[in-house]
Amino acid sequence: MTNKIQFDEKRRKAIAQCSRCGFCRAVCPIFDLTKRPVTNARGKMILLKELMEEKLSVTDAVAQAFLRCTTCMNCTVNCPSGVDPQEMVKHARKEFVQLGMDNWFKAMAETMAKYGNIYGEEKRVDWEHKKGNAQTVLFLGCVGSYREEESVRETLQLLDILKVDYTLIDEVCCSGVLEDVGYKIIEDLAKQNTREIKKTGAKNLITTCPYCYRVFRDHPAYQNLGVELSHITQFLKNFNFEVRTQKRVTYHDPCDLGRHAGIYEEPREIIRKIAPNFVEPLRTRENAMCCGAGGGFRGSFPKESVRIARNRLSQIIEETGAEILLTECPSCLHNFRNARRQKQKIEIYNITEFIGKLYREKASLGKEAA
Amino acid sequence: MIPKQRLIEIVGTENFTDQLEELIPYSYDASMNVHRPDGAIWPESAEQVAKIVQLANEVKIPVIPRGAGTSLSGGVIPIQGGIIIDLSKMNKIIEISIENRYARVQAGVVCDTLNRELAKFGFVFPPDPASSSVATIGGNVATNAGGIKGAKYGTTRDYVLGLQVVLPTGEVMHTGSYTMKCVSGYDLSRLFIGSEGTLGVVTEATLKINPLPRHAMTAVATFSRLEDAGNAIFQTMTSGILPSVMEIMDQVTLRSIKENTDIDLPDAEAMILTETDGYTWEEVEAQMEVILDIFKKNHPIEMTTAKDEKDRINLWKARKSAYATLARVSNSFVLDDVTVPISRIPELLIGIQEISKKYDIVIATFGHAGDGNLHPQILYDEYDPQQVQRMEKAEAEIFRLAISLNGTLSGEHGIGLSKANYMTLEHDPVEMALMKKIKKTLDPNNIMNPGKRALD
Repeated sequence: MTNKIQFDEKRRKAIAQCSRCGFCRAVCPIFDLTKRPVTNARGKMILLKELMEEKLSVTDAVAQAFLRCTTCMNCTVNCPSGVDPQEMVKHARKEFVQLGMDNWFKAMAETMAKYGNIYGEEKRVDWEHKKGNAQTVLFLGCVGSYREEESVRETLQLLDILKVDYTLIDEVCCSGVLEDVGYKIIEDLAKQNTREIKKTGAKNLITTCPYCYRVFRDHPAYQNLGVELSHITQFLKNFNFEVRTQKRVTYHDPCDLGRHAGIYEEPREIIRKIAPNFVEPLRTRENAMCCGAGGGFRGSFPKESVRIARNRLSQIIEETGAEILLTECPSCLHNFRNARRQKQKIEIYNITEFIGKLYREKASLGKEAA
Repeated sequence: MIPKQRLIEIVGTENFTDQLEELIPYSYDASMNVHRPDGAIWPESAEQVAKIVQLANEVKIPVIPRGAGTSLSGGVIPIQGGIIIDLSKMNKIIEISIENRYARVQAGVVCDTLNRELAKFGFVFPPDPASSSVATIGGNVATNAGGIKGAKYGTTRDYVLGLQVVLPTGEVMHTGSYTMKCVSGYDLSRLFIGSEGTLGVVTEATLKINPLPRHAMTAVATFSRLEDAGNAIFQTMTSGILPSVMEIMDQVTLRSIKENTDIDLPDAEAMILTETDGYTWEEVEAQMEVILDIFKKNHPIEMTTAKDEKDRINLWKARKSAYATLARVSNSFVLDDVTVPISRIPELLIGIQEISKKYDIVIATFGHAGDGNLHPQILYDEYDPQQVQRMEKAEAEIFRLAISLNGTLSGEHGIGLSKANYMTLEHDPVEMALMKKIKKTLDPNNIMNPGKRALD
């Protein structure tokens, strides 16, 4: 086996196109934290250039350096030269694994294959919700199911209140994340999900996790689902909600939902219906800073990941003065909740969770009045 | 060998590296120069910088101060190895004194970050290099950075009241004052402004700040003849009003934008984008009227003005996309910053096109016509040796052309490595000798960013 990584024409061109202007320094969440050039997109494009020119050999340290990227894509949208560094990073990770330089995620893949989720949890929460035939399948994803249970419960209740005819399935991890960290999707898991979805006879598939949404949308392993796919914010955008909050509310664009999936408007349409006092952060939409959870970064560097979330959270609080931070991504939600300091009074929810909570509060007020 | 242990004693393990994968990114900037350093260090205070430099001077190894590394001239390339002093962690805004009209900042503060803070008070640090989202104040000082508004607001030099500098011997020096005026002693700040890290490490700057203009009006005009555009520019600059923006884009740039974006442009030899600003709308409009009158007399193809922010952004679109469009259509490019007296701009633009034809290489030119500072962007392929050779010859000829027009090699990027060989074109032997003497006096062991500007 040759100890070189392969570059096709497209990637050779991208390496030449990087003009090393360094504009990605301004938007890279890891660089923002470390100030070390190897952590930003330019640093990695330079390493790739030297690998391509065979001035640099592949080593474990070089392969490790490429794990330090959340694949948040903020560099891509801000690159004057039109380079997509996060795609280059993902490709390089695969090449390193091909060369025998396995990383931490090899073990995670084994866990996934064995337990059907990223955490190796043996028991799944019983949501006390039906499984069977319905118009719509709701796919929860690993992070929500195993780390943000309360949030998921509120979302489920909201869908019930809105009388959505939906069902849960015996889902397993979509396993798409493996493609971003050097490995391949697990076909058996994809088959199981496909089978379970088909079994319900549903016409729609909705996900709360924007990452699962992207995997179902883009990965060939999921091309035969035979359902109309939407993220839950797309699904709910035309609903009317009979609840309001007067609190100052802001929104964090998840990288997977915004830059990666192009869904910016739907979450805002929903929020404006329930929160007249809505304020945007300064860095928002395609320029929103990453929460630090993506691209396998939280798995590899949990401490740095939370520090990035802390920075983003402080930034949002300072820029908006909001009392409520909404997002619609279990990973962002989880990272922000872990990052919040006690003195920070801001409450953090998924949009659907928050609306569910408003309904519940309204109902309990109604009961008290009665 | 670098004194690794002693460096770690100064800054701690977490702020030093000699790992190959960390040093490689420090071997580059936005130019085509490459060389590896032997180590990189992230000091957190001027005291630490002083200790690092003192140690480097003792063991005689090069030190290269570095901000965001956006240099287009190789200014931060460690061409003789040594230690990169990365000032990114020294990014505190120490003091904003609105009542005394200054801001005191550490060298690693990013321009846009400073301006976001100043905007809260209705103030601004005017120099606005295109890289302001990442460029640091230390880098601005080291290159005397300018930007789009140079004609009215000048360059970094015009805003530095004082500096804190670590000298090559490791001593810490303060220059200038906190006052708007100062003739006390030699103006040593100016010696360090634009010195590209060859005389010391700037660790802190006291900057004069301006009130933010409340209103601005933008206009764009296209001209079928370059000469008309040139006349429109110098007539405006001598009309009695001072536009805050006076940008020009040549035909090659305009064609490239037209062919590669959805921006619709007429087939013109030049486009001018101009802006007036001020405290009242009346004042802004009155100034713009003068400019538009002048433009009209010079046979424009089209003229458009913008009064609201939306239209304004639209008019800026072509100019803002120039760099990116050109960067995307070519594999590699060099971006120069020759500057000539304002009335010589048409000659420079025509001369550059002749050079482009002679060497059969695409050169697109745009830039800050209001202060005579143009950016010829030479497009080529770094992996094609023939093209590299033609690019180098064309660049050399552009430098000679600029000098022959009473111009300078560099208006705002600096000399660094890329232009070092051409220093003697511009500077006579007496001046070169004095520059070398100054360098030698301050830095007897030649440890401060050696190999730059043909000074060693």
